Amino acid sequence: MPETPEQPTVNQVAKLARIHLDEQQLTSSGEKLKQILEFVSQLEQAELPKDIEPFFGAIESVNAIREDNLQTSVPREKILDNAPESDGEFYLVPPVFRNTDS
Amino acid sequence: MTLSALNADVIVDQLNAGEVTATDCVQHFLDRIQVHNAELNAFIRVSESALEQAQAIDQRRKAGESLGCLAGLPIAIKDGICVSGQPTTAGSKMLENFSPPYDATIVERLKSADAIIIGKTNMDEFAMGSSTENSFFGPTNNPWATNRVPGGSSGGSAACVAARLAPVAIGSDTGGSIRQPASFCGITGLKPTYGRVSRYGLIAFASSLDQIGPMTRTAKESALLMSVIAGFDPRDSTSSKEQVSDFLTGLETPLAGLRIGVCRDHLNEGLDVEVKTKINDAISVFKQLGANIEEIELPQTKSAIAAYYIIAPCEASSNLARYDGVRYTFRAQANDLEEMYRNTRGQGFGDEVKQRIMLGTYALSSGYYEAYYLKASKVRRMIKQDYDEAFKKVDLILGPTTPTPAFKLGQHTRDPLAMYLADIYTVSANLAGIPAISVPVEPSSTGLPIGLQLQGRAFEENTLLRAAHQFQNETLWHTASPSEPWRTQS
Amino acid sequence: MEDTVLNPTSSPQSSNRRAVRFDDTQIIIGLEVHVQLDTDSKLFCGCSTRFGEAANSQTCVVCTGMPGALPVINQRALELSIRAGLSLNCQIARSTKWDRKNYFYPDLPKGYQISQFDQPICGPGHLDIETSETTGQARRIRIERAHLEEDAGKSIHDESSRRQDSKIDLNRTGTPLLEIVTQPDIRTAAEAKAFLSELKLILNYIDVSDCNMQQGNLRCDANVNLHIPLGDEQIATPIVEIKNLNSFRAVERSITHEAQRQFEAWQEHGLTIADAPKQTRGWNDHTQTTTLQREKEDSADYRYFPDPDLIAVKIEESQIQEIESQLEQLPADLRKLLAEQYNLKSADASVIVSQGRGVVDYFLEVADGCEDSKIANNWIGQEVLRQLNESSQTIEQYPVSPQQFTDLLKLVIAGTLDQTRGKEVLNAMVADCISPEEAIEQLGIKPVDNNELVSLCEKLIDENQDVVEQIQSGNGKAIGMLIGKARKINPNANPGLVKAMLTKMISA
Repeated sequence: MPETPEQPTVNQVAKLARIHLDEQQLTSSGEKLKQILEFVSQLEQAELPKDIEPFFGAIESVNAIREDNLQTSVPREKILDNAPESDGEFYLVPPVFRNTDS
Repeated sequence: MTLSALNADVIVDQLNAGEVTATDCVQHFLDRIQVHNAELNAFIRVSESALEQAQAIDQRRKAGESLGCLAGLPIAIKDGICVSGQPTTAGSKMLENFSPPYDATIVERLKSADAIIIGKTNMDEFAMGSSTENSFFGPTNNPWATNRVPGGSSGGSAACVAARLAPVAIGSDTGGSIRQPASFCGITGLKPTYGRVSRYGLIAFASSLDQIGPMTRTAKESALLMSVIAGFDPRDSTSSKEQVSDFLTGLETPLAGLRIGVCRDHLNEGLDVEVKTKINDAISVFKQLGANIEEIELPQTKSAIAAYYIIAPCEASSNLARYDGVRYTFRAQANDLEEMYRNTRGQGFGDEVKQRIMLGTYALSSGYYEAYYLKASKVRRMIKQDYDEAFKKVDLILGPTTPTPAFKLGQHTRDPLAMYLADIYTVSANLAGIPAISVPVEPSSTGLPIGLQLQGRAFEENTLLRAAHQFQNETLWHTASPSEPWRTQS
Repeated sequence: MEDTVLNPTSSPQSSNRRAVRFDDTQIIIGLEVHVQLDTDSKLFCGCSTRFGEAANSQTCVVCTGMPGALPVINQRALELSIRAGLSLNCQIARSTKWDRKNYFYPDLPKGYQISQFDQPICGPGHLDIETSETTGQARRIRIERAHLEEDAGKSIHDESSRRQDSKIDLNRTGTPLLEIVTQPDIRTAAEAKAFLSELKLILNYIDVSDCNMQQGNLRCDANVNLHIPLGDEQIATPIVEIKNLNSFRAVERSITHEAQRQFEAWQEHGLTIADAPKQTRGWNDHTQTTTLQREKEDSADYRYFPDPDLIAVKIEESQIQEIESQLEQLPADLRKLLAEQYNLKSADASVIVSQGRGVVDYFLEVADGCEDSKIANNWIGQEVLRQLNESSQTIEQYPVSPQQFTDLLKLVIAGTLDQTRGKEVLNAMVADCISPEEAIEQLGIKPVDNNELVSLCEKLIDENQDVVEQIQSGNGKAIGMLIGKARKINPNANPGLVKAMLTKMISA
């Protein structure tokens, strides 16, 4: 596991990922994380040619571009149909308790 | 011969010839599902309108209308693929009641071909897993031995076809999720070349690795489905414009002169003895069929799992960020926004999903991109180059699909690493983007299916299907069915 | 945004700080401008980008980030980005790609924004500006980069009780934005405003964006700090990012306020750029002040990585050249043209150009037609613009065609119509959509023949002996009164001719 001065803790990662874990889960998750990270860190040993380009998967053939044409949007009631909470116009979410102006 | 004993291409012929109605056909499979699904839990949901659709097809046929090439054929679809107007859950509590307002592209194509979607099959949650034990809707049992896993993440589709609850099914494959369950359940599963089949409407796990593919008893049925679902889709930027040839022609072309590569390393350590034997036996069959067997090397295989278990969780951690309780998911109780996020995702996701999100989040976090994702992507390039090199010498690569037959339910749930390591033979094809197929060979002495994997050059599914088809002409392993009560009458 | 750290180490005594004058400090300003590109559909899907529609009526599975949905990039957005980049003298990337910027917010449906991290579509460039303080001397503001990304939706928070749910409208999600980042080259609030004005003008000219801050298709954040001379050293104050700016005026005022605030804060506490991280402050239009925004946790960790759902876009040299060849002339080029070839004063040229291509073309046609750009400028720059303003019309809607206007000016130039009469004719043309000839007839304008003129002048002299005496005793200006009376009697009397004749008669 690469050691850097700012190595995030399990707690911090859970916060970043917006997942609530209780004490027990944090411990268990932390252990599993450590185990897996140790395993994948074997890649550090992998000897790669200096100029090797990463491969991100997509067949890099032609630009995938579409014309600026209008398509019919999904009607509002249909798109809000799955919303856990809505007033028929907007999605409703609990308030953010922050002092921001934007 | 009863319907469920027939292959899809034969069923389609009979439907076209009027020898059987779509209504009778669908009813037959619905009855089987009714009887057997409770014990297998292959289906999350059976379609309520399947019979109605069948009746409509029969009427249209009567009226002399021209119908699609799969008219009346029942097909099961993995629940990670969007079918509009009914729940598509991805095996998760998070999407338990999510009803997509649209069809996935492949679903549109199947509907255009007049196939009948008979139900949505069970899967590991968000396609993360190799056993279908990670489903919110409970595990699926392997029809060959109900105390064993069917494999994953497309375990429901595999079990469904093996138990003939539908003649064919659609699955998805990110690190082996079609091929491994096909191997465990004794059926044929194809992962097409990346970009060959549209991902539009496939609930994303790892975008650069995911592919949709057919799960069938035979290669011929696989070719039939591919001819409907494959091809460029302008709604998917990663979709390939590569010409789609007819997958069905050329299946009968003999294998004389075909060069098949075998990687010695893959048949040595860690491989179950019986698997090794049956694979070697299969190699002999290919020799008999006229193929030339050569030794090849894939030195980067040793790094493949590590690369996969960085790339996939990283992409997944980002793909699953949209499941936040705001627009269409389960939402947990909370006083404020942050609490809502954390409770929703804490409760809505299962443990394995949460674990992989944590892993991916960590690996992408500040300062780690180069060390993990970028490094793994460079290793990925090396893996691809391994294949490029190998395919200069051979046309196909042959080996086992999995190191062992199906393991027992609960056997690996405490040890994720052990489960991950079992993906050793399948992940490389996803990393390199090449097509791969799993076909059944002789089962183990205890009657558990064993799978053989063929990997091919990008966009050369025809060669894979041809080799698999010839193998299936010569052997009968793919016709075997699990013992009673699912055995179908011949 | 990098700022050169000049001398961060020592923190001098407070009294030394108080001895420094604000006017000796340098204000360092950089701008981050988000411009909404004028496409019909969104960046990654076919939903409309039209502003002001009913909430959540312009969304689809792609822009709401539904499971399974995938993005496909909009050709026109690419083209407009390249156009904008060329107009700002930017290098255009030959290969560009998109990255995911991951963070959680309810108006960000996918939990990440598709943006560009290390291969933006436009590289370094520059924009030359002038302010009234530096007329004639262009200041070069360097552009660091411009990249193409998608917009987020809108959140409406409950301002009152804080217990009410927030409302989310996703219409705006997925709208294409070009984020333009300057180097910290701007030195005054006026320059910042000039930069934004010129940017808006350019992007209007090349049909890239309306740049209307009120409609939200131009947004701006300002990064501000001070360089303060202290003895032999130069001290830099911590950088502040100012958000929530809704107009160019707000940009200007907030910078002025913030510079002063930073100076006073520095005098008080002596904190430099090395001591404090970058701060975010929001501009409050009511109080005309900036206030500290609470820091968001983990705000900086966006976990950028290349978006695996999109592939790189290769831009050919030929494509860039074609776009460049079709690019309209830029405001700066047209100002130069008007000044050099039409002899307008640069202030006048700026006025015409700032009104848009339509007015420029109108002017050029009229100036060429009547062959007198000075008169054309006087009339168009004043009368026409005033009329357009009053009636809230565009030049395209203006009822007088360039040809008709030319005809009118020719009459004025020939002396057939004087200034005042000419304006009356123009007003009639505008009001009734008629030609100059028709207007002249409608107003009963006729040339006054010499006999009529003579009798008119004689009559005036007869009836206004007192004024005549004033004129004869040296008060030349009093003749104006007579001219006024002449016009009342006969509006067709040419003031110049009346004046000449009266003068002749009176001095005779």
